[in-house]
Amino acid sequence: MIYKILLSIWMSLIITAVFLYVEPATGFPGEVSRILFFHVPMAWVATLAFLLSMIASCVYLITRKVNADFLAQSSAELGFLFCFLATVTGSIFAKATWGSFWNWDPRETSIVMLLMIYGAYFVLRSAVPDHEKRRVFAGVYSILAFCTVPFLVFIVPRITTSLHPEDTLNPAKPGMDVKTLIFFLGSLCAYTGLFVWMLRLKVRVLRIMDKELNVKFKV
Amino acid sequence: MENGLGFVAAVNLVIWAGIVLYLFVLDRRLKKLEQRSGGRDGCIL
Repeated sequence: MIYKILLSIWMSLIITAVFLYVEPATGFPGEVSRILFFHVPMAWVATLAFLLSMIASCVYLITRKVNADFLAQSSAELGFLFCFLATVTGSIFAKATWGSFWNWDPRETSIVMLLMIYGAYFVLRSAVPDHEKRRVFAGVYSILAFCTVPFLVFIVPRITTSLHPEDTLNPAKPGMDVKTLIFFLGSLCAYTGLFVWMLRLKVRVLRIMDKELNVKFKV
Repeated sequence: MENGLGFVAAVNLVIWAGIVLYLFVLDRRLKKLEQRSGGRDGCIL
């Protein structure tokens, strides 16, 4: 409970600070660079969620514990949600800097491919009626789907010419001042905390649904 | 407060408050449902 209250206050402080305290990055029109504090953490959480989904799937396939499958499913769903939000915020950034919401830039194309790959994961889950088979198929697919994540998120946009900013907004490279970096990392932590909170809720929902289903079958 | 940034920050804070409220309400309702269906046995998270 304390962690949730602290997270709520922390995120509120981050939101206030990134709009009213941090200066916008140079080289971008107006205030558009402030989207960095929302867009990058969303993309980070999406990648983290897909990784967690893959690990949980491996655990399920080895141990056959249903809770691991709940974790894999929940994580994939939240990963999809954050990936979609990263696409939307990226599109807003594209409109402000490149003049169009969608340009089929390598970064935009790769994120759409990622959304389609994980969209297929949910189609697969809903297409198999048998619980045990569904969990095994989904587990194997989740592992295969994650193999594309490093390629689509990190490699493709770097081996091709992209409009996506790397030097100014990438914290791994010089160009971000200390104040911006502190709030950027603060935002990353806040989004990760939010992801953990949402993940726990989603897993609990799945567990209750599973219990109710089992009770119905027994009756 | 230049360029309407204060307004944008306020809108963001309202949205965040809505999300937090929703998550807290969901948390409470799930607790009640868990109590009804016999607790959180063997849960990973």
